[in-house]
Amino acid sequence: MTDNVIEFRKATKLYAGVPAINEVDFQLRRGEIHALVGENGAGKSTLSKALAGVVTLTSGQLLINGAEVAPKTPLEARHLGVAMVFQENSLVPTMTVAQNLFLGQERFYNRLRGIYIAAQQFLQSLNFDVPPTATVSLLGAAKKQMVEIARAVLHQAQVIIFDEPTASLTPEEKAYFFDLVRDLKKRGVSIIFISHALEEALLLADRITVLRDGKHVVTDDVANFDRARIVQAMVGRDLSNTLYGKRKTEVRRAGERILSVQNLKMAPMVKNNSLSVFAGQITGVFGLVGAGRTETFKIVAGVLKRDFFHGGEILLNGKPVRYRVPAPAVQAGVAYVTEDRKVEGFFETMSIARNIYLGLLSKFPGGRFLLSSNEAQKTGDDWISRLKVRAISPKAKVVELSGGNQQKVVIAKSLTQEPDLIIFDEPTRGVDVGAIVEIHELINRLADEGKAVVVISSYLPEILALSDRILVSRQGKVVEEFSALDATEEKIMYAAIH
Amino acid sequence: MTLKRFSQQEVVFAIFVVLFAAFALFLPGFATTQNMLTLLQNVAVLGILGLAMALVVIGRGIDISLIAALAVPPGLVLQMVQDGYSLPLSIAVALALALAFGLVNGWLIAYAEVPSLFATLATGLLLAGLGQASLFKLDVVQWSDGMKGFEHLGQGSVLGIPTPIIAFAAVCIVVALLLRNTRIGAYVYAIGDNPYGARVTGIPSRPIIVLQYVLAALIGCFAGFVLAASVNSMPTRIFNSTLIYDVILVVVLGGIGLSGGRGGVLNVIIGTLLIGTMLNGMTIMDISYSGQNLIKGMVLLAAVIADSFLNPRNEETAQQGDI
Repeated sequence: MTDNVIEFRKATKLYAGVPAINEVDFQLRRGEIHALVGENGAGKSTLSKALAGVVTLTSGQLLINGAEVAPKTPLEARHLGVAMVFQENSLVPTMTVAQNLFLGQERFYNRLRGIYIAAQQFLQSLNFDVPPTATVSLLGAAKKQMVEIARAVLHQAQVIIFDEPTASLTPEEKAYFFDLVRDLKKRGVSIIFISHALEEALLLADRITVLRDGKHVVTDDVANFDRARIVQAMVGRDLSNTLYGKRKTEVRRAGERILSVQNLKMAPMVKNNSLSVFAGQITGVFGLVGAGRTETFKIVAGVLKRDFFHGGEILLNGKPVRYRVPAPAVQAGVAYVTEDRKVEGFFETMSIARNIYLGLLSKFPGGRFLLSSNEAQKTGDDWISRLKVRAISPKAKVVELSGGNQQKVVIAKSLTQEPDLIIFDEPTRGVDVGAIVEIHELINRLADEGKAVVVISSYLPEILALSDRILVSRQGKVVEEFSALDATEEKIMYAAIH
Repeated sequence: MTLKRFSQQEVVFAIFVVLFAAFALFLPGFATTQNMLTLLQNVAVLGILGLAMALVVIGRGIDISLIAALAVPPGLVLQMVQDGYSLPLSIAVALALALAFGLVNGWLIAYAEVPSLFATLATGLLLAGLGQASLFKLDVVQWSDGMKGFEHLGQGSVLGIPTPIIAFAAVCIVVALLLRNTRIGAYVYAIGDNPYGARVTGIPSRPIIVLQYVLAALIGCFAGFVLAASVNSMPTRIFNSTLIYDVILVVVLGGIGLSGGRGGVLNVIIGTLLIGTMLNGMTIMDISYSGQNLIKGMVLLAAVIADSFLNPRNEETAQQGDI
């Protein structure tokens, strides 16, 4: 029994009567890397939050080192030796690395020089190449993660939980991160690793647990798993072939040139970027984090502004345009579906129907000074059924939906505006597997209808599965173009890195 | 298990009912028709200001300069009439001033992107200073014969209902219609709910924000007309009083979250009723001004604490960064 550092017995957590996890049994052995996988809403985050003291269990037991505990705050969990590295960075951005490391442990007289020296020695002992005097906001994603990990180790955590640690990392950074995790394991730290990326789980973990709909499905050694079996366990049905596996055998032909970007500049993210987008096909844009893809298309949609001098040209249907705000871009038929739907996407206090209706209102305000609840209802119902949004009713609030359904609402809001150019930025980020398929079908349908579709994605299988034409972006500009017929993962990645 | 969640407006309404019942039972002279009318009349100005504030707060802003808009343009009317200009011309000039003031506020907040708190704090001081320094001859701008007829707005009655109450009701209806039934209202809620999302959706955010502050200034000016007509003068020192805190109290107490996108006219009415009952009851009990402030402060704290107990914030809302 003492082999297990952590043990959950019939752990249940209800949110307003709805179980997020339901009688889950889970064991974490000492010194193992244990991957926790499942669709969005499967209960991975809730389980780990219960462990980290962010939420408390409604019923069931949590045992740490064989003793029953119930941490109520992250601080209590930390004293029990559990640390969580959150999806959202929990560092204080304006403080230095050293200040962040010792945050909450300062002496009454907080001598900066002292903590810099202590931090320097500590970081060196971990072999982390982070300067302790650097301000955190200036660090890259990988370095921030290192600081988080260092902090967990400093707190003498026996168990470290990583929630989607690799989402914002480039491939090199990922490799480095994996080495860090393995190193932690050698030090006897037990690790829970939550990830959407199954390859990573297979690569890194000793054991894998699959959750589905708040229930425990299977736990097994990694050697007994392969991609297909995990996906099967996650969704309870075989999706691996229809989702990313299939390769394109024919591509749509390019229609009219809808968008042409020439020498676009926005320091420091976009440098002399030039590209074209054509009607009736899907243009996939691949690049690593920091390649300037999102920024380029945000400038096109008026969300960001290009450089005032020598900013380059954007031609929409052959006419030069320069949008300072998104509203005129929307009027001109450009829709941008954001990568961060919580910040830029939906209106959380409003119903699904209202969210969608607002899209219609802002594109076609004429004659709609007075709101029509009939029209709102009809628009809502119409799009809910067209995009198969799963909700109790159109009056349900968007914030209560799962990630996939939220994404569908955000897409519907843009589609009511009848755009000619639709830019999907990471359309399936944080979306469950079932919804991914439906969103991909929708994107294909839009291209078949003759719209110009842009899909920005950091996930190669998604780019390959969707695109007719693939643009590879690197350091602020498009560097290579492939037809989907002769693109391979290797070729694209090669272009994106070098 | 499934305890019904009460919203803040229900809690506040319950407090109002309890307080009202207690006053009616134990306070002689409270539950009379005459006192009820006085009560409503006294809070009408506060309620109108609350509506102006609500319009801005729902759009995730705040307008500290409302009292300047209340004091200066109506004061200008009295001053101009005193100086011999005609009443309609004076009113037109005052409305133009309020309009220009709202435009400046809106431009600063929407286009120059100054945080609303600082922008309106500064413009409010500016307008009040301008009024006191160069427009008005005395701190209290006096009534003059040319104003004849205007006092009906504050002292008249229609079918036995005092006009300030009718004015409050009228503004309530206009603001409620605007917020609930027009495209503008939908945009205001959208901007308050998620300003970035509203922008990306293609809502003309900046013109709408300007419109909010223009309407707030105009409604504030209207409240000033009602006030001036009730007391037959415009005490411009009202700018230095704590009235603006009472207005914020009404809005927050009524349940319009300062983080925007929530609440409506009903919340303002409930907040106004509670504050009005409290002030009226305390006046009858002859509690001193400082004592009244003490009690107001405690009530606001109690309401806010009750709300956070009844509706605990989860991680989702915590990330939204409430003000």
